[in-house]
Amino acid sequence: MNERRQSSPVTAVFVVVSLVFLFVPLLVVVLFSFNSIGSLSLPFRGFSLRWYRQVFESPVFRSSLRSSAIVATATAVSTLILGTLAAYALSRARTRWRAPLALVLFLPLTLPGLFIGLSLLVLFGEAEVSLSLTTVAIAHLVYVMPYFLLIAVAALQRLDPALEEAGADLGANGWLVFTRVTLPQVWPVLMGATFLAFALSFDEFVITFFVIGPESTLPMFIFSSLRRTVDPSINAISTLLLAITLALFAGSFYLTLRGGRRSVIAVTGETGSA
Amino acid sequence: MAADQGGRLRLVASAPGPDVGPGSAGGDPIGATGRSTDRRRRPLFAAVPALVWMLLFFVLPLVVFAIYSVLTAGLYEVSTPLTLDPYRDAITDPLNRTLARNSVIVGVATATVCIAVGLPVAYWLRFAAGRWRLAVLFLITASMFASYLVRIYAWRSVLGSEGIINSGLVSLGLIDEPLSFLLYNRGAVVIALVHIFLPFVVLVLYAAMTPMSDGLLEAGRDLGAGSVMLWRRVVMPIMAAPCWNAFVFVFILSAADYVTPQFLGGREGTTLGVRIQAAFISVGNWPLAAATSFLMLGGFVLLHLAGSFVLRRLRLNDLRLAT
Repeated sequence: MNERRQSSPVTAVFVVVSLVFLFVPLLVVVLFSFNSIGSLSLPFRGFSLRWYRQVFESPVFRSSLRSSAIVATATAVSTLILGTLAAYALSRARTRWRAPLALVLFLPLTLPGLFIGLSLLVLFGEAEVSLSLTTVAIAHLVYVMPYFLLIAVAALQRLDPALEEAGADLGANGWLVFTRVTLPQVWPVLMGATFLAFALSFDEFVITFFVIGPESTLPMFIFSSLRRTVDPSINAISTLLLAITLALFAGSFYLTLRGGRRSVIAVTGETGSA
Repeated sequence: MAADQGGRLRLVASAPGPDVGPGSAGGDPIGATGRSTDRRRRPLFAAVPALVWMLLFFVLPLVVFAIYSVLTAGLYEVSTPLTLDPYRDAITDPLNRTLARNSVIVGVATATVCIAVGLPVAYWLRFAAGRWRLAVLFLITASMFASYLVRIYAWRSVLGSEGIINSGLVSLGLIDEPLSFLLYNRGAVVIALVHIFLPFVVLVLYAAMTPMSDGLLEAGRDLGAGSVMLWRRVVMPIMAAPCWNAFVFVFILSAADYVTPQFLGGREGTTLGVRIQAAFISVGNWPLAAATSFLMLGGFVLLHLAGSFVLRRLRLNDLRLAT
């Protein structure tokens, strides 16, 4: 309530309708994952966990879950390393190479996954690389990098340059300034962005479809159950996938928000108890 | 104290545009001293690992894919005589034309609905949300992270003949048989794609609105403008460029989507993306798939350029907001 708030009943209606539209279909899936009979139709017959039991007893589900976790971890860790360095370069470099560099790093954001997936499949075919979870992680890094950079570059640009200059003037070399002055200020935001990278990779399907080998990830598993249709346990699998990605998102949101506040403190020069 | 002052001043100076930066300290365009050049260049090397990765696994694949589009097609293989036949085939094929039309309809409909709904929501978030702002922002961002496949499945569950709408209406006695027109058409594809892209559009437009001051709208009102006039003469001109960028983004990603139409589109809702995927995976005509892909990409680039040209002619491309 810190600023003048105007009433805007028409746009408020749009907000309510949008939220209902966005959440009701997902809530339906979650609700019916607890339905005791295997049908999506009303009325609801009573609470049961049998679909979850069935899902966790399925060895295919468990191996897909493991594959997804492996790929997402590899993607998140490598995004954190390569992305942090690249974000630092983008936020600090002031040469004419900056614009083409940004173009190459951000372009995957606007290219449909269909084309990224197909062109990687062609490349792996020409290079005679056999498809596996490694090729999936390679592709995911391309897909996730721009999202990580969006957050990381914004956080780095918010920092007060005086702190880094003070470090340099006190004799610290570039690496020391980066690790001792820059990184501690943006670390929570970078962790939030890493959570985001993990979540994006965990849920990726469009590109994965083309570059995956004999293994299956969780979205691939859902895709094949969607094709087989009428398997009610898909509600439970979907709910699990929703829960995992939303938990990761909440973690990311919290870290980014906290990090944002920390860098505000750094800029205003407040220190101490906060 | 003096150093602090200097830092503050520089921070203020660098605020308007990201191009004027900390290292360049005001007026040193060519880097007169060796040390400052060094300081400006060195950070760029940090991007080398990511750059190499992108060149190897993003740019190079696209180059190889482009070469495929001018090779002679075999069954699941390509051979050397260079030819433009794949492009000719892709353009003349009647099925491709129908599917391209479907893609354009789906893309335009999805992008239009996203902007038409996203703009009022962003406006509310910026000017009317009050203490609800953070909560609604959280919900909308959270919904962006809901799994892509789960959304498609959710809409199939909601709209299907056994789905919640139909079974609800039947059990209420309003209809005797399930409504079959809800699913397996273009409309169902558009609904699911709007569900996927709306949160993103809201956030982008909200971000574009944050520099707009309350005073701007108040000035309009003080000059006697009503709500409609205010939207037409103040909000829309400022939001034209962000809206167009969001439109192109959503159009590209929804027109090229190949998963949603497979599950929700039926015959009428099939799009070019599905054809490209099928041409590659199940038909094995790689040059045709590649040529169709690059024609589609060319269309996207043209659309973007045409829009930017119009915006520039209308002088709406680069509005600076005095706050």
